[in-house]
Amino acid sequence: MRLFTNSTSFIAALWLVAIAPAHAQTPRPAAKAFTPAKLADGQPEIPNGIWNRRGVGGLDNGALEAQDHRPPNPLDPTPANPLSVSSRDDGLNNVDRGFVDQFSEKLGKTPQEGQRGQNRERRQMGIAEPGRILPWKAEADAARRAFLLKTNPAQGLKYVEMDARCAMPGLFFGNGPFQFLQTDKQITILSEYQHFTRTINLDGRTHLSKNIKLFLGDSVGHWEGNTLVVDTTNFNGVTAYSREIAYLTDALHTVERFTLVNADTIDYEVTIDDPNQFTRPWKVTGQYNRADDLPELLEYACAEGTQTLRNIFGDPPSK
Amino acid sequence: MNKFRIVFIGLIGFLLWTAPLEAQSPSLKRVGGKPDLNGIWQVLNTAAWDIQDHSGALGTPPGLGVVEGNEIPYQPWAVAKKAQNFANRATADPTEHNCFLPGVPRATYMPFPFKITQTPKDVAISYEFTHTLRPIVMDGSPHPETPEENWMGISRGRWEGDTLVVDVRNFNDQTWFDHAGNFHSEKLHVIERYTMTDPDHIRYEATIEDPKVFTRPWKISMPLYRVADKNARLLEYECVFYLQEERYKNAPFHE
Repeated sequence: MRLFTNSTSFIAALWLVAIAPAHAQTPRPAAKAFTPAKLADGQPEIPNGIWNRRGVGGLDNGALEAQDHRPPNPLDPTPANPLSVSSRDDGLNNVDRGFVDQFSEKLGKTPQEGQRGQNRERRQMGIAEPGRILPWKAEADAARRAFLLKTNPAQGLKYVEMDARCAMPGLFFGNGPFQFLQTDKQITILSEYQHFTRTINLDGRTHLSKNIKLFLGDSVGHWEGNTLVVDTTNFNGVTAYSREIAYLTDALHTVERFTLVNADTIDYEVTIDDPNQFTRPWKVTGQYNRADDLPELLEYACAEGTQTLRNIFGDPPSK
Repeated sequence: MNKFRIVFIGLIGFLLWTAPLEAQSPSLKRVGGKPDLNGIWQVLNTAAWDIQDHSGALGTPPGLGVVEGNEIPYQPWAVAKKAQNFANRATADPTEHNCFLPGVPRATYMPFPFKITQTPKDVAISYEFTHTLRPIVMDGSPHPETPEENWMGISRGRWEGDTLVVDVRNFNDQTWFDHAGNFHSEKLHVIERYTMTDPDHIRYEATIEDPKVFTRPWKISMPLYRVADKNARLLEYECVFYLQEERYKNAPFHE
């Protein structure tokens, strides 16, 4: 059982900022075209191994709550804290993973990893919107802000995020490790975090009926050259993008693009369309990186040991 | 004459070449030379309620057991423990009552489908019940030397001919084999055998040993059936979520 905690990632982030030298990004020469092997069904082969993800979703930076929405918290960012995002009025905390990762690439790692880092394309991570401000519909933004004010302390079950409940978090939580398995006209993505499995059917089938609603949605895909394009619908309306965007509605429709860049890198982009809450779709960019230091996915048991709900609400009344 | 000999030798060679394939059920689709287990599977039995022969009761479908010989060789102390588990099963069954990970082999015969994903290098089994996942490492590496205990154990797989053999260890002592309270300790060691008998059936066997609880190894076996419905896919049975929604629906609780 491997445990991840937000406090450790937060402390790691502080540590990185404390010792990382200021640096300017230098443009890198364009990598030569990558030609992945082809599988029997014509799919480009995703290099075998275990992958981590960065840039996407809200788990890592959960400690960096936006102050304008919540009571003060010792872990909240401050103007003196270079990781602070609270001064922005978009109220999003999930954009700095790439920032942290850029520093982490500069830090002491094994020579092999350093070499691997050199192959990485510099990539802006996180929400790809001007100013990182999302195209909220006014009423949805107001509802979200009102909602967030009831989350700490949680004023009911729906104010406790799925991650803390050890329930299925949806597509955008968890930074890995992941494993991709390719079979005939299908891709299966295994996630150690919350031990979930995604199946992406490539056989041309259509989406499930509207009556079936899922945390992970229903995914169909196809390849465009080296890019796997995944179209997902049938979400259940309790999927979060991050702690600050606690619920996307069941009108959610995502289009993800996984582009094989080299043997160690998959560029990731997701377009998030939730017409109930946003005036137009918005995009997030991230990246999957191969993690050779992780030999296999381990067990992530969460519901089996959690006391979170008991700690917040006490024991449920016995019947 | 020479031509004849060449043809004859060629024919013998062809027969020798095809003979091993004949022995390997030529009707089966293959992945990397092994039977293609990819797909969605499910049992058609009542082992999740009780792995032994049992009559029907309210909420319990009657069923033939899956234990060879129907006897589970408990040590004397364990017979009493099993009886106690059975008596308390409504609230003590970790899987039924708390939606905890069901363990192995129980995950196989929960009344929910599961998906086998098999590439030439890797095998994984994903279960619809509480989205349980078992990556099965096939690279010949040993089980990790770890004191850490796992609800689903740690799986190492290998092929013996056309049979996928999975050796599962590193368990905890928290799971039950069924809702009837059959149990084990952290010394549980399960060897599963998946043998495809035709494109829509797998013969599943699991040998169970646990020197702290049983007097000898014992075995269960059952067929796995392919879920052949058009458009079949694994959906979600989010047991933990449903349970929380029920238990905490009135939270915060007031007098």
